[in-house]
Amino acid sequence: MLALRDVSFEYEGAQAVDGITASFDRTQLIALTGPNGSGKSTLLKLVANVLAPRAGEIAFDGKRLRDWPAKEYAKQVAYLPQDPDPTFSMRAIDVVVSGRAPFLGRFAWESDSDYDEAEHALALCDAAHLGGRYLDEMSGGERKRVFLARVLAARPRLILLDEPLASLDISHVQQFSALLRDIVDRTGVTVIYATHDLNWAAAYSDRMLVMQRGSLARDAAPSEVMQPEVVRELFGFDAEAVAMGGRSWLVPKVEKSPS
Amino acid sequence: MLALLLAIALIVASSVGATNVSWRAALSGDETARAILIGIRLPRALLAALVGATLAVAGVTFQTLLRNPLADPFILGVSGGAACGASIATAAGLARLPGVVPGIAFAGACGATAAVFLLARRREYTDPTRLLLSGLVLNAFFSAVILISFGVSRQSDLTAALRWMMGTLFGATWSDVVLLTVLLLIAMVTLATIGNDLRMLAFGEDDAKSRGVQVERVKVIGFITASIVTGAAVSVSGIIGFVGLLVPHLIRLIWRRDFRFLLPLCALGGGVLVVLADLLSRVVVTSSELPIGAFTAVLGVPFFLSLLRRNR
Repeated sequence: MLALRDVSFEYEGAQAVDGITASFDRTQLIALTGPNGSGKSTLLKLVANVLAPRAGEIAFDGKRLRDWPAKEYAKQVAYLPQDPDPTFSMRAIDVVVSGRAPFLGRFAWESDSDYDEAEHALALCDAAHLGGRYLDEMSGGERKRVFLARVLAARPRLILLDEPLASLDISHVQQFSALLRDIVDRTGVTVIYATHDLNWAAAYSDRMLVMQRGSLARDAAPSEVMQPEVVRELFGFDAEAVAMGGRSWLVPKVEKSPS
Repeated sequence: MLALLLAIALIVASSVGATNVSWRAALSGDETARAILIGIRLPRALLAALVGATLAVAGVTFQTLLRNPLADPFILGVSGGAACGASIATAAGLARLPGVVPGIAFAGACGATAAVFLLARRREYTDPTRLLLSGLVLNAFFSAVILISFGVSRQSDLTAALRWMMGTLFGATWSDVVLLTVLLLIAMVTLATIGNDLRMLAFGEDDAKSRGVQVERVKVIGFITASIVTGAAVSVSGIIGFVGLLVPHLIRLIWRRDFRFLLPLCALGGGVLVVLADLLSRVVVTSSELPIGAFTAVLGVPFFLSLLRRNR
């Protein structure tokens, strides 16, 4: 489906993504992690066709990204930036139906079937009841669901989410992670999402990509990444592995226990 | 509903004035009534509608493009450029020649737009923040030039220049009406063709790009279209404030918030507001005319505030 070969990008001289090679062929939930500034957002933007690589090649279905007509590519790959915020508050259903934009002709308006798709997408995100509400009347968790429905509304084959779990409380992080898992399993879409939450990423995803200073430091199953020595090397974080419920969780090593 | 309101406003506005004449008399062949209604009042009312429509359309376009609810058609220096051109023409003693002030004002508006655009563009990217800043700085520069030109203008020319700066539709002609109609139609068709893309900008440029929108192209087309029609409206009517800022917000409060709905509704709403404001400016004090810009605010602001209170 998606193949990256030696993809690089720099912002005015600062290398952001450096020679990344990876391929994505199966329906999977993929967590993209790495320290702040390691290039996760840039990588997602490159795959989303928001930025063009300075070197290397991205291909989708064997066709180079720059050979795809932008609207056709947008039907295959949907991208959700971090914290999208429309200038004027909108009803959730209008937000979601705008995800159908790649299918609209120049003067066309959304048809009933576009609204059906939007409602279907809202239902998939357990947000059917939010359709008529305005964004500024919603909690952070509800907004996230609406925007997830928006990227689903185009029925893409690949979804890219930039830190969808940021600013959610711990119970919403779990709910939203479970929702992503559920959507991948039910619809067959592949989701790549950037996240800082290693434990939840490992608990729900099939594969973890770890970036470090623009390079892909690891591309492996969660169990391989979730090792204290790996996390120390990649994140500079001292952790202990605790086995619980058949999987391993990383907990911080506290030097001195507070007394 | 808005279209009906506009039609009523136009009929009322053309029926009311310093001289008492009726449409019935004009239609039954009274030459004086005809001359007043068709030669003076109707073109003036129509021009008011067109100017209002143009400013509101430009306003909603700038708000959408800049993703800024405080944007109005004059924010990028279009009005400043026009006023600067007009005041220099006045200082040079050219104001009394017919057609000179509108012509130079339009040239000033285009010059200001081009300057703002060149300042804000780098590496084939038009930065909204840089656009706003360039507009702000140029407007400040233009006010300086205007003040200097006023200082060297003759007293008799100054009154006319001031009236123009505050917005007036005095002396509207059918040729103004035709010109602005054509420009407004072209602008609305152009904006409608990029309407689907403009709407997507509400979610941010990265998001729009990922949806297949050619963001730079849409921005350039939108800015240039809105700036040119604003320049044309300003050159025939002077500077009428509040319409371009207020009407899009009014429409958003009453109806929906999608650019494609806003475009035609703002055109009608802006038309209604300026026709009524112009009517008031003519009838409140019969001995002279008061600035229209004051009445767009007098009419629009209370209405807007009551809507704002009711909505939340």
